[in-house]
Amino acid sequence: MKKVDETVRKETGYIAACTVILSMLTQAVFLVLGRWDISVLLGNLFCGGVAVLNFFLLGLTVQSAMQKEEKEAKETMRTSQRLRTVLLFVAAVVGVLVPCFHPVPALLSLFFPRIAILFRPLFMKKETSGKPEKE
Amino acid sequence: MLELAIGIILGCCALGAGVAMVAGIGPGIGEGNAVAKACEAIGRQPECKSQVTTTMLMGCAIAETTGLYALVIAILLIVWAPGRLVDVLMTAIG
Repeated sequence: MKKVDETVRKETGYIAACTVILSMLTQAVFLVLGRWDISVLLGNLFCGGVAVLNFFLLGLTVQSAMQKEEKEAKETMRTSQRLRTVLLFVAAVVGVLVPCFHPVPALLSLFFPRIAILFRPLFMKKETSGKPEKE
Repeated sequence: MLELAIGIILGCCALGAGVAMVAGIGPGIGEGNAVAKACEAIGRQPECKSQVTTTMLMGCAIAETTGLYALVIAILLIVWAPGRLVDVLMTAIG
């Protein structure tokens, strides 16, 4: 089995942490609105998990594509993207159609990695500002 | 006449979902090109591998969101829209 790159592991961890925080926020919003039930939690967990898995698979693909030739890397990325879109499609359809999942948090969870990336520059600034400057 | 109207609604929803999924082609091509260029960059400066990989990952994830929007629109058009539009039609007819 291939070893997972340190960068991929770190970024997936960041995305997973952000997904958990955003999921908790979604639960809180549903609780405040008085519409919370177990389907909200299940929908959130299911599609949030798929979103993180999708990001991890993207990371693995990027890792393996980096070691290939330019043309081969292109093909690998395209094939991976197609397969991952099918995975997301299946997850979204299951999230919408299966009654034990609430469709709104299910579909919303798929966008959590994107929202996490949106906040990424804030953390990156902190990381750089925390380092001592070289003279 | 009513069956024809419902048929048109269902057909247009399916057509709309299909057209929306055309947006799924773009991210695949874009990601492929980005990774190819990243390979080139790492070949030139192998010491920047970690930084290039991080930027690549984030870039690919952002590019993929476009496809995800299309996917969600397509699913809503297939699953949710037909029922809602037929309800609107029925209400309009009375």
